[in-house]
Amino acid sequence: MAGVAEFSGNEIMPSMEIASATQRKIIHCDCDCFFAAVEIRDDVALVGLPVAVGGAERRGVVAACNYEAREFGVHSAMPMGQAMRLCPNLVVVPPNFEKYRDISLQIRKVFFDYTDHVEPLSLDEAFLDVTGSDQCGGSATMMAREIKARIRKEVGITVSAGAAPNKFLAKIASDWEKPDGLFVITPAQVDEFVRKLPVGKIFGVGRATEKKLNALGVTHCDDLREITLPVLVERFGAMGKRLYELSRGIDHREVKSDRRRKSLSVEHTYLDDLAALPDCLQELSSLHEKFVARLARVDSSYQVGRQFMKLRFNDFTTTTIERNFSAGPVLDSYKTLCEEAWQRGKRPVRLIGLGVRFDDVVESIDAGQTELF
Amino acid sequence: MKFTASRETLLKPLQLVAGIVERRQTLPVLSNVLLVLNEQELSVTGTDLEVEIRSQVQLEAAGESGEITVPARKFVDICRSLPDGAEIKFSTEDGRAILRSGRSRFALSTLPANEFPSVEEQSGRMSFTVAQQKLKQLIDKTAFAMAQQDVRYYLNGMLWEVSGNRLRVVATDGHRLAMSDGDIQVNPNNVGDDKAEQSILPRKGVVELARLLSDEGEVNVVMGTNHARIEGEDFRFTSKLVDGAYPDYERVLPKGGTQILEGERDGLKQAFQRASILSNEKYRGVRMQLEGDQLTIMANNPEQETAEEEITVDYNGGTLELGFNVNYIIDVLNVLGGDKVRFTLSDANSSALMDDHSDDSSVYVIMPMRL
Repeated sequence: MAGVAEFSGNEIMPSMEIASATQRKIIHCDCDCFFAAVEIRDDVALVGLPVAVGGAERRGVVAACNYEAREFGVHSAMPMGQAMRLCPNLVVVPPNFEKYRDISLQIRKVFFDYTDHVEPLSLDEAFLDVTGSDQCGGSATMMAREIKARIRKEVGITVSAGAAPNKFLAKIASDWEKPDGLFVITPAQVDEFVRKLPVGKIFGVGRATEKKLNALGVTHCDDLREITLPVLVERFGAMGKRLYELSRGIDHREVKSDRRRKSLSVEHTYLDDLAALPDCLQELSSLHEKFVARLARVDSSYQVGRQFMKLRFNDFTTTTIERNFSAGPVLDSYKTLCEEAWQRGKRPVRLIGLGVRFDDVVESIDAGQTELF
Repeated sequence: MKFTASRETLLKPLQLVAGIVERRQTLPVLSNVLLVLNEQELSVTGTDLEVEIRSQVQLEAAGESGEITVPARKFVDICRSLPDGAEIKFSTEDGRAILRSGRSRFALSTLPANEFPSVEEQSGRMSFTVAQQKLKQLIDKTAFAMAQQDVRYYLNGMLWEVSGNRLRVVATDGHRLAMSDGDIQVNPNNVGDDKAEQSILPRKGVVELARLLSDEGEVNVVMGTNHARIEGEDFRFTSKLVDGAYPDYERVLPKGGTQILEGERDGLKQAFQRASILSNEKYRGVRMQLEGDQLTIMANNPEQETAEEEITVDYNGGTLELGFNVNYIIDVLNVLGGDKVRFTLSDANSSALMDDHSDDSSVYVIMPMRL
């Protein structure tokens, strides 16, 4: 695929300057014609036909449509009547938002296998910050490829993904080879890519701003860079600063995740079954070490609750055991749990998992504080 | 450009300005300070495009006039780490700024002064003068109530309202509100009617301005359409104004409260502070029970630990039980000046008004928590 290259955590940075800033890895995933794709998935008869999801009544609008419908000029937010005039054979399916929500959560679960930092933008779109993720050897490209494959297999729809050093570029990248696309902008490619980018592609640049920019002789980010920051700020206010930064491929916005973890755990499946308890106890310390490292990355708003342990025996029976130790999630606590858990099966072990539950300290948003306005 | 100055002479204006210069800047010149020397007068300017601070100082001797920008943080760090009383020789050579002092020599990168963005001069809507100490006091008494990062962006700032010879400042985060009035001398040439003029200063501007103000002298304040400019003897502060309508604060000042509680400010503050130790770390709720002249403050947390404080107060109302965020109460008790504090209450669902009964220039409103 053209324009696709790898970038991984251990890539040598092109210069000191770039190396000094921590390079982020952001993936933007966007389901292709989400609502329509779901409906077609669930009704084989629709495959190959132009399909629009939306209200069929007089005032209905197109919530989503597939590419077959788009060939007729149908697009989302279009009044359904107009869509049907453009495409007389259009199959109109009433939306089922509950179903879309369930599928969206299913997709989100896949994302969470790669990072905690998932910022959903809508049911069918999300940013993932995979900077600290060690899956796929830390390669964002490989993670994006794997996510796409898993969603296709587990959910049955296609996703376009973009990987880049920031949100702005990741979003553009996911759109670049839609549908079912994967496009990667490596840190080294950012400058060249952005220079050639039409200003209309910048998020927040609508038709009005684009016109204003065109009047200044600006059609591409390259031109935009010629204009100084003070001039941009004067003409476009706060957007001016954004334009200045985005035209240089700079976007410091963080991926904001509002997900609250309920637990944290690590597990390992052993190539050769662990014959008995002493072997399990021996393996425990390296697994615990890995767990402690993960726990250290969890922010301070979480309070560690009960410790738990999972053992899967060679007959595939699984047992879990959970308890609150005053010592907390130290190795000795897990040794105790492991001994007890092993007594339940007393046979070779193929998998050990250990972790903690978190006490939810953020029960509700307002907790009774009343408002002035 | 060339001059010689003592470390202390240079540090003072630099430190006033350096605070707003951010380290990570997209426009390199924004991490620099602009130095302009006009014979004996040196001015130092820093900006983040929202707030601009210019500070002037008279040098011990005239130098070679000129202007240049140098990296702010490094310049300050160098000056600061030289010994007390050190004499610093500054000059520009081949696009570099050379600093010499004793046996030290530094060559700093520079950027030309004409790249430094400046806030354009604007005609003001109105202007007034005010004692620095008064303005500082107004900010100190209210700034804590500003919102931090509210989506209602106009709350992340402070309302300045001028009517007649009175400046009223208001800060609120939507849960509590602080308001303070001070005397000013309005410029007699102000055009316009007697209508109250409202402007919202952004949070960062307010914080930086408070650092600039001292206890002596006056400042001249010019309120423009988009900017406010505050000029003292040795500094000029310019801040963008927040574009937006401030909520109608008068509407939320409680009027019907008849149950008055009065108590020693210090004693109450200590009692609330002790109780707060065992209030929920996140929500900070405390319960206030009033019966006769007895106030009981109670707190508990998810670990079921409890605190109870009893304190004798003057109270004219019936039995009452209220819940508040204890931080909001302590914040007010910290900034009120007098020995005594007054709470005006009505019921558990209405806001409480707090003030110092001997000084009505500052009032505070706190919304309760549902018990």
